[in-house]
Amino acid sequence: MTDVVDQFFAELADRGREPLLERVTGSLRFELSDGGKTDRWFVEVEKGDVSVSRKSLAADCTLRAERKLFAGMVRGEVNAMAAVLRGALSVEGDLEHLLLFQRIFPGPPGARGPRRGRGRQKGRR
Amino acid sequence: MNDGLVKILDGNTFVVSDERGDIEASLTDPTGLFSFDTRFLSRWVLTLNGQRLNPLSVDDLQYFETRFFLVPGTGTVYIDAKLSVIRRRAVGNGFHEELTILNHDEKPVNLTTRVEAGSDFADLFEVKDALEKKGRYSTRVDDGKLLLGYVRDTFERATVVSASEPARVTRNGLSFRVEIEPHGEWTTDLDVAAVLPGLPGARGRPKYGRGSRRARPNMSESLEQWVEEAPRVECDWDSLRTTYRRSLVDLAALRFSPPVARGQSLPAAGLPWFMTMFGRDSIFTSLQALPFTPALAATTLRALGEWQGSRIDDFRDEDPGRILHEMRYGEMAAFEERPHSPYYGCADATPLYVVLLDEYERWTGDTKLVRELEFEARAALAWIDDYADLLGNGYIWYQRRNEETGLENQCWKDSWDSISYRDGRLPGFPRATCELQGYAYDAKVRGARLARIAWKDPELADRLESEAAALKRRFNRDFWVEDGGYFALALDTEGNQVDCLASNNGHLLWSGIVDKSKAASVASHLLGRRLFSGWGVRTLAEGEGRYNPIGYHVGTVWPFDNSFIAWGLRRYGFKDEAAQIAAGILDAAEFFDGRLPEAFGGYERILTKYPVQYPTACSPQAWSTGAPLLLLRTMLGLEPQGDHLVVDPALPQTLGHLEVLDIPGRWGRMDAFGRGRVQVESRRAHARRR
Repeated sequence: MTDVVDQFFAELADRGREPLLERVTGSLRFELSDGGKTDRWFVEVEKGDVSVSRKSLAADCTLRAERKLFAGMVRGEVNAMAAVLRGALSVEGDLEHLLLFQRIFPGPPGARGPRRGRGRQKGRR
Repeated sequence: MNDGLVKILDGNTFVVSDERGDIEASLTDPTGLFSFDTRFLSRWVLTLNGQRLNPLSVDDLQYFETRFFLVPGTGTVYIDAKLSVIRRRAVGNGFHEELTILNHDEKPVNLTTRVEAGSDFADLFEVKDALEKKGRYSTRVDDGKLLLGYVRDTFERATVVSASEPARVTRNGLSFRVEIEPHGEWTTDLDVAAVLPGLPGARGRPKYGRGSRRARPNMSESLEQWVEEAPRVECDWDSLRTTYRRSLVDLAALRFSPPVARGQSLPAAGLPWFMTMFGRDSIFTSLQALPFTPALAATTLRALGEWQGSRIDDFRDEDPGRILHEMRYGEMAAFEERPHSPYYGCADATPLYVVLLDEYERWTGDTKLVRELEFEARAALAWIDDYADLLGNGYIWYQRRNEETGLENQCWKDSWDSISYRDGRLPGFPRATCELQGYAYDAKVRGARLARIAWKDPELADRLESEAAALKRRFNRDFWVEDGGYFALALDTEGNQVDCLASNNGHLLWSGIVDKSKAASVASHLLGRRLFSGWGVRTLAEGEGRYNPIGYHVGTVWPFDNSFIAWGLRRYGFKDEAAQIAAGILDAAEFFDGRLPEAFGGYERILTKYPVQYPTACSPQAWSTGAPLLLLRTMLGLEPQGDHLVVDPALPQTLGHLEVLDIPGRWGRMDAFGRGRVQVESRRAHARRR
């Protein structure tokens, strides 16, 4: 069964290149737990070129959270940085990588945005 | 200190105590040990045999370290002056305290020494607003250490208190049985660690240990190195030397290393309550300090770039490309009871980001950073047109989307009554204040230059230049108050002019948006009777409906504001007028021992004879600290031109001789000299206290 989290990583792998991650060169490891089970993803970024695997390797930045919470981030319902401050998303290593990576998460569903901007867009850039 | 409180800090960790070194905070009382916007100690009280101590003196060693000299007994009558106590405290990831008791008697002495400790783990916002906690507290003793804890859901904060000497540790403090020989001494180290699980960059132990003489305050660079690397200022005027030195030291104290900056520092906004990243304040201060400490600008650009908005989020007033307003790390930000994680509600930081990037390159020649931040700079430029133009008529407008906890006025004059018509009425929202349009113009002009020299995108450059030209035409038509000869403070939604005369006109000169033909009229207003007090330019002109010489943004004089006004006057060739403003502000600095406050009263100089300080909680304030630096630049007419530094001095006559030596930049290091020749209205002698 695939959920939004699986989908998120699969899409990220498919894209191969993500302009929002152009500033990033390094690796992130995601450890998402669901009950007793923990799933791992290993994301390597080289100036915006992304590869995703399930390898268990040491990364520049390791992120740990409940899968449910991460699903919320992927849907734009949970703000990643507030989750870090809350301790719900724990970061080991380089916070900068998370900071740049979280740019690809969408904004809250149903956000109004500026009142009358030209070129106004919903969600992500 | 005049408020009886002793403050030391390191990055965003600081301690506010009384003159004994004790902390007895209530929820609304701003004393304690704070780190990452949380109070980690609200109680820290030292007693000898159950008695409080009495302060003899406080030695402010450095901004991160202090020493308290105490004797037992309270009041003016000493019960026993045969003992004295020294507390030496250094702050950094909590604090380290060396407690020493000296026995001056010929007999040995037995004492029970006790330190009471406790924490309410209040959020800085709670201290300001007196709110109640929602989590659970815990206290336990483990392995001779006292552990104070607070948990709310996944949010955990803890304070660990330990001592180097054997102590009886209970849930509310540490006790020592002390025996001291005649003329002997006893000493212990006390360590207080602030623990923030899951937040990288927050270490779980104090930075200093016993006898750490080689202090490393918040940065890898010591204070001495910092001062040594900055240019030297030589002049005939003692006060200016003092002011310059004070500015450098305060700027060092204000350095803040956010968790993502890899140990590099940027200027925080103010001590101690604003020790965090603010888009606007960090950018303005970096601009002011560029000729002196260009590294601050590089870190500001990197850190603000990394935190740049990337999505639409109404709670945070976030848009793609928008530069943040304020970042906080406390409980209320964590649980989204406040939007500061970070909050993006400001309309000027985004265009100013591009302005700083360009100015930084002009000084340093660091095109590498301009290329590195190409994505962020382009996004910032795009924000101006795509997200800030709320009415679709080519201006930056602001209106908060977070109605509950967002900011109403998203310009630097951010108090509720700062933007008004002549008759005192307040316009509705959105609002387009004039200086925002100037910053947008400047950002486009400078963005075009960056597109040509670093991004190899002449098309973008052409487009930005033509947009800038159109904006300038439009602006000079729509904002110009015909019967006044100045630019309106803002436009309202009907397109009407919010027609007050305000200091914002000076920022317009700085941005270059003002038509040459209108500049002389603007300059004469800035130095005219209604705006110029003799010390500086008032935020709002005398005679306007809401004018009040001690109103925060409606009549006071802001040193930061004036430094940019002086820069603007120079830009349009008004050298003497710029020198007049520099003279006034630097004269005022003398009354504050070189540390300019955030603002002072707008009273006539001849009336009060001295500048009346506006009461504020934060001192020093970063952009006030930077003001003398920018004034030095404008007086000497320092301007990078290609790989050279042009010096074109216009100094107030009262200043005598001025040298700034070893100015760093793309030219290596250069010296600048000048001699005072400009006649200024009020002489320095007039400003002296005696």
